[in-house]
Parts: sequence; C-alpha cells; structure tokens
Amino acid sequence: MNQLIVNRILKSLALPLLFLLLYGNTHAQLERKLVTADPEVELIFHAPRQINLMTVEPLEEKTLHFAIMHTFGPLNGGIRNLYGLDNGANIQFSFEYAFDDRFSLGASRSSRDKFYNLYGRYHLLRQNKSGSVPFSLSLMGAAGVNSTDYAFLQEEAPDFSERSSFVFQLMLARKISDKISLQLSPSLAYFNAPMPAYLIEGDQQLYLALGISGKYKLTGKSSLTLQWIPNLNSDLRNNVGVGIDIEAGGHVFQMYFVTSQALNEQYLLAGGNGVPGEEFRLGFNVNRIFATGSR
Amino acid sequence: MNWKRIWLLPLIYLLMVGTVGAQEFKTTDGEVSFLSQAALNEFTGESDKLHGLLYPEKNQIDFYIDLNTLKTGIGLRDRHMRDNYLETEKYPFAEFSGKMEEPINLEMNQAQKVKALGVFKIHGKEKYMEIDGSLTKLSENEILLEASFEVKLGDFDIDIPKVMFYELSETQSVKIKAQLKK
Repeated sequence: MNQLIVNRILKSLALPLLFLLLYGNTHAQLERKLVTADPEVELIFHAPRQINLMTVEPLEEKTLHFAIMHTFGPLNGGIRNLYGLDNGANIQFSFEYAFDDRFSLGASRSSRDKFYNLYGRYHLLRQNKSGSVPFSLSLMGAAGVNSTDYAFLQEEAPDFSERSSFVFQLMLARKISDKISLQLSPSLAYFNAPMPAYLIEGDQQLYLALGISGKYKLTGKSSLTLQWIPNLNSDLRNNVGVGIDIEAGGHVFQMYFVTSQALNEQYLLAGGNGVPGEEFRLGFNVNRIFATGSR
Repeated sequence: MNWKRIWLLPLIYLLMVGTVGAQEFKTTDGEVSFLSQAALNEFTGESDKLHGLLYPEKNQIDFYIDLNTLKTGIGLRDRHMRDNYLETEKYPFAEFSGKMEEPINLEMNQAQKVKALGVFKIHGKEKYMEIDGSLTKLSENEILLEASFEVKLGDFDIDIPKVMFYELSETQSVKIKAQLKK
C-alpha cells in the first residue's frame, strides 16, 4: 500500500524533474548560493553603546569608534532652566579601537570628576542564524581615575590609588526576533576609596548590579531603547532610561531620558539615581565609526 | 515511461551536463566594486565573490553576487547597508542574466568591446539594462571580462532617507572584472 503511494508520487514527479534538469541546462543559469551558509546575527543593537551601557555590538578589525555622550540637568528645573539644558551637563568623549574582530581597547574622559577610563571589550561568542550559538557573549573591563583637583579640601587630597576605581561587566545578548533584542549585563564596580568629595551617592567600595538593555525596532533605521539597572547590594535607587536610536549612515544618534548623570560604568553603578518624573534628565549620544589603515 | 528504467535518468542528466559543461566559461571569484559619491561622503564597497557564467556558443551570460560579501571598510556601515538598504535577509543576491548584443568572436589578447542586454535584479526588483564592457581572450581556456554601469537606487525601490542625501549617492557606479575559465 505505502509502496504504491510512493511509486505514484515518484512517477508524477519524474517528468517535471527531468524537464527542470534539461531546461536548467539549456538556459545556462548558475545556481544561486550564499557564500556563508550560517552567518552571524547582525545588529543586535545599533551601536557599541546604548543609552549608558555598552553592548555586544562588535567593531571590525582596524576600525575606530568615537562616541560623544552628554547628559543635561534635571527636567524639573522647568522652563526657567530650559528643562535642564542650562546646567549640570556631563559630557564624555570616548575612542575605542579594534585590534581584530574580537578585541578592542578604548579610552574615555567624562567631565564629571574629570574622570579618565581605560577599557577593553572582548567578544567571546556571537549569536548565529541557525541558533547553534543562541546568544552573543562579550566581556568588558575598565580601570579609571578621578583627576579632580582637591586642593580645596581641608584634609590631604586623595592619592592616585584612592582616586582609582574599576569595573567588570559580562554582556549576554540575544536578538529574540527581527524587532526585539535584549541584553543582560551583570556588572561589578569597585572603588578603592569612595570619598564624600566624589560626585557619587554611594559610600561602599563594591557595587553589584544587573544591567538590562532592550531594543524594539520601530522602522529599519530607528528603535525604541530601554535601560534598567537594578542594584544588587546597595540601597541606591535603580537606574532607568528610555530613548530612541536613529541610524544615519556611519552615525548612530541616541536620545534618551535617564535618571542618572553618570556616563562611565563605575559612576553609573555608584552614582545614585533620581526617579522618573523627578531628577529625570535628557541625554544624547553620537556614535561614529571610522576606518583606519588600509584594507 | 517504463518505471523500471528510472535508473537511466541520472545517466541522461550526467550526459547532458557533461556535454554542455565543456563550452562554459565560469568564475566564482570575480571582482565587483561600487562607488557612492555624495556631497559630504564618498565611499566604495568591494567583493571578490562574483559568480559568473559565459556561454559563447549559445550567447548566454549569467552573473550573480551574494550581497552579504560587499565590504565598505566600516563594519557598522556594512551592517546598516545590508539591514536597511539592500535587505539581504530577504534579497541576498544581485543578478544579471542575458545575452550579448552580437555573437562574440574573440581574438587572442585583443580586448573586444561588447554590449550585454539583459535583466538586472537587486532588492527584489528587475530592470532591463544594456551594459557596455569588454572581453579579452587570454588563452583558449580563459576570458577576461570588464564592465562598468550605473545603478540608480530609486529604480530598485531602495529609499534614501532625506537626512542621508548628503551621505549616500542615489547613483552608484558599479565596476566588475572577472577571469572566466573553461
């Protein structure tokens, strides 16, 4: 019985198949084949940064990522302070250079506490189309120093070691669907000496937090972005951010409302936060990638 | 058809392929480049994965490229290009299929001007095009093909956002160069 059915199906297919084979040949067309059968999933996020957190989005070998990040004063100053634009600005410049497709080194400088940070990013795993690697995994580490002149202090100014702080971050991300991407960033920040003079709210040395970044694609070139960073071992308020990413060629513009003025990772964890509605502030990032060297 | 002779099918196929294959010139590593010249930004993209077929006896040509292999030197720009403009997930290939205006008759080491007539397809849209190029017979088994043409993005429903007009040119100049071998 089964054999009969199989035979009938084969028979009905045989002629069209033969025809296809011959037709294909007489019309001399190449079979269309993809060069990479199982490519990596791309653009999990629009840029190597989203709001204040770094992402798993890699840089290609010998390219340089330049980011300007900026947060303003709180919105609740009202129109008198043009909703925060008049004051309290924090600005950070950062350059990140990729030595190969996995490893990059960067340096940043934020105006708040004149803070210099050296950081590295390493991409361990990359999500692929087939799902045999279901998520991307990257590591990030940084060492920074507060370079404010504390000559005004009564006591002795902190030394280099006391001004230093460190951060380590794991980034685990997945493009869940064409529209939705999610990243978890378990983070650890350590201050050698969190002095009251520093522009942070926390007074502990060690801070643990879980960064959560979300992206919802609105159109091909823009996305809604979210950031939530619950603190795991401090009483500080959690960081909340919401924004929009817009791609324009080599640029990615990011505009957001966020509860913190901090732009580097250490201050993001230790800096403290307002609540949405109060101490909520406008911020923006401009990301640009440059090619360097010859290809 | 006698069902018991089904084993003949692959044999017939092999015969056909065997005889037909002998006169085809093919490549899998031809070069493609495009140039975008806009007011504020000029960049090129390249790939060396042009697949091509030239069949002089039957006057047929067929070329395609996996658009995922195009590189502009900035990875993020490549990803945006694939994701937003070319939409390679849906339309991974750019293709050209057609024939030469006149049957080709090549002499050794002499570049001959040719015109290809056919259909160019990219981003899921097709357009009839006439492309000027040249063919050079390098040996009995080798032909060099060079051609250049322009692609207007609007013809293929590839939209440039208004904020991008200074950065991305509507007209892309495309060049191809390939050594096809028997």
